[in-house]
Amino acid sequence: MRRAAKFLALACAMVLALATGCAAADITITIAGPGSQLSTIAVSGLKSLGGDDDHRVGNAFVNTLRRDLELSGYFRIIDPHAYIEDPQTSGFELGQFNFADWRSINADFVVKGSTNVGGDGVKLTAYLYDVAQQRRMMGKNYSGDAGDVPRMARRFADAILEAATGQKGPFDSKLAFVSTQGGRFKEIYTQSIDGQDLFRLTGNPTINLFPSFDRSTRYVLYLSYKSMAPALYLADLQQRRETRIESPHGTVIGGTLSPDGERIVASIERDGITNLYLLTRDGGEIRQLTDTSGINVSPAFSPDGDMLAFTSDRSGTPQIYTMSLDGGAAKRVTYSGDYNTTPAFSPKGDKLAYQSRDNGRFDIFTIPAGGGDPVQVTDGNGSNEYPSWSPDGRYLAFSSTRSHNSRIYILMVSNRKIISALTEGNGNDSCPAWSGWLGE
Amino acid sequence: MIPVQLGRGGWVNSRSTLAKAMAVVGVAVMLAMAGCSSKKPAPLPGENPNGSQIGENGAGPSGGNSLEDWKTGKYGAQGPLSDIHFGYNDYTIADQDGSVLKSNASWLTAHPQTKVQVEGHCDERGSEEYNIALGAKRAQAAKDYLVTLGIEGSRVSTISYGKELPLCQEHDESCWQQNRRDHFAVSE
Repeated sequence: MRRAAKFLALACAMVLALATGCAAADITITIAGPGSQLSTIAVSGLKSLGGDDDHRVGNAFVNTLRRDLELSGYFRIIDPHAYIEDPQTSGFELGQFNFADWRSINADFVVKGSTNVGGDGVKLTAYLYDVAQQRRMMGKNYSGDAGDVPRMARRFADAILEAATGQKGPFDSKLAFVSTQGGRFKEIYTQSIDGQDLFRLTGNPTINLFPSFDRSTRYVLYLSYKSMAPALYLADLQQRRETRIESPHGTVIGGTLSPDGERIVASIERDGITNLYLLTRDGGEIRQLTDTSGINVSPAFSPDGDMLAFTSDRSGTPQIYTMSLDGGAAKRVTYSGDYNTTPAFSPKGDKLAYQSRDNGRFDIFTIPAGGGDPVQVTDGNGSNEYPSWSPDGRYLAFSSTRSHNSRIYILMVSNRKIISALTEGNGNDSCPAWSGWLGE
Repeated sequence: MIPVQLGRGGWVNSRSTLAKAMAVVGVAVMLAMAGCSSKKPAPLPGENPNGSQIGENGAGPSGGNSLEDWKTGKYGAQGPLSDIHFGYNDYTIADQDGSVLKSNASWLTAHPQTKVQVEGHCDERGSEEYNIALGAKRAQAAKDYLVTLGIEGSRVSTISYGKELPLCQEHDESCWQQNRRDHFAVSE
């Protein structure tokens, strides 16, 4: 139960102060986009103002922040061994340290800050400095338990991206995925984007697939064969219980949760025919959405919850379609390729990402949601499947077989650069779902 | 090295014995209610890593339910009925498989107390969900054929495992061909 309390604490109880007193010092500049030249950033150790003599709290922040900044694709982290000053003896406020120590190691930016650990928890301050301008760009105060420190780092990484690019980063969020790690069976896991807090949601050695979050990350919907026949299960992470979603219309073989968590679109099979149905969160039927004699699967909500993208074979091959949830005809979106599936709406709703087959393997493409020219974003290495957008829309998580086992990777959409694997690959990982920002 | 907290972090290990016992009861109740349109909240999963409620009754010595055989390591055994195979992204019964289905139907006619579940399976290419739908079409095609041959529809159920339970693990056509199949699980 302690873990549950902690999970809740992370979701609700963490108290985050806003920018420090000198808010007028906050400056937004636009750094060079990802690509030719990455910005360099040094993430200094945090000065212990008390209670963190072994720097465990400070290191938890610094290590998480470095990993998140690396995953952003905007920064090269300067090796800490090159840092000149000792963070424990130098100051962290503007004027209390020497910018020359950071300029001489070619840092464009430096992060400095402090911890104060006492009976009432952790108080942490972090600043982002522009080394060339010798200015403070942004600062944050955080307080919470020691276990909340990695999350403070994720929020600070998101704030650094906002200060440096004008757009908040996506790291204060969760990844759900399917993995066979630890055995032959596909189970649902969650973890932070930077790989911490790996948590196994299911523990039934059968088949579990297709996790999806609502925007608040309170619920995870997934398909499971745990009672032999496949059914959807809605896990309530707050109440720590779940509901089984079945249908009088047939066998539920897939589904997704609406952004507001109130509705489900389920793929329901009867007599070999699979159609999509709109259901309430507890499984009550609202309406049948498709009515063809073939296959209609892989439903995906638009961010406003008004539109649906899905895969249908009504043209003879699997293609992507969209439709309004208020009713109306389905509109075909993809025309290139003879196997297009697993659509996902971008957070702005203007694009779809999907997988398209070529030579027996898949690549990820994006296409305007209203139809248009597809853009290939993966590089033909391995089979690349199941795209899921980051909440800021800059990144896609997807599964790829490029390095033997299937793992989850992150790529930047604008330059199509694959930045890193997000999962360890102890087994085969698939079906990633990137949550919205936590605590929103 | 990415920190992993599974051992102490999961709900699996942090639950009390009482909670585990209650969870087992919950799963048992859920199984008993399978088939009804149960909407009752059940405990979250994770309490039952061995899944011992599932698969300990009813599975024949061979040719049983593929998921149970997969769990118990007996996977791939054939029963009294023979598998049939399909072309890529296809669910039509091939001519040569008509005779297989006729002999399966003869066996079912000679064993009127039995029931059969037709399992549709797919190769690894394609998305998970599309393949579950495709496997459902394959299972339905065999069911329709058996019914045409005079087997009562009430004796024949269907399920699709998509690409989730491959017989053969290699990534080539000979393997894919083995995996695109209907399997016939017989029960009393």
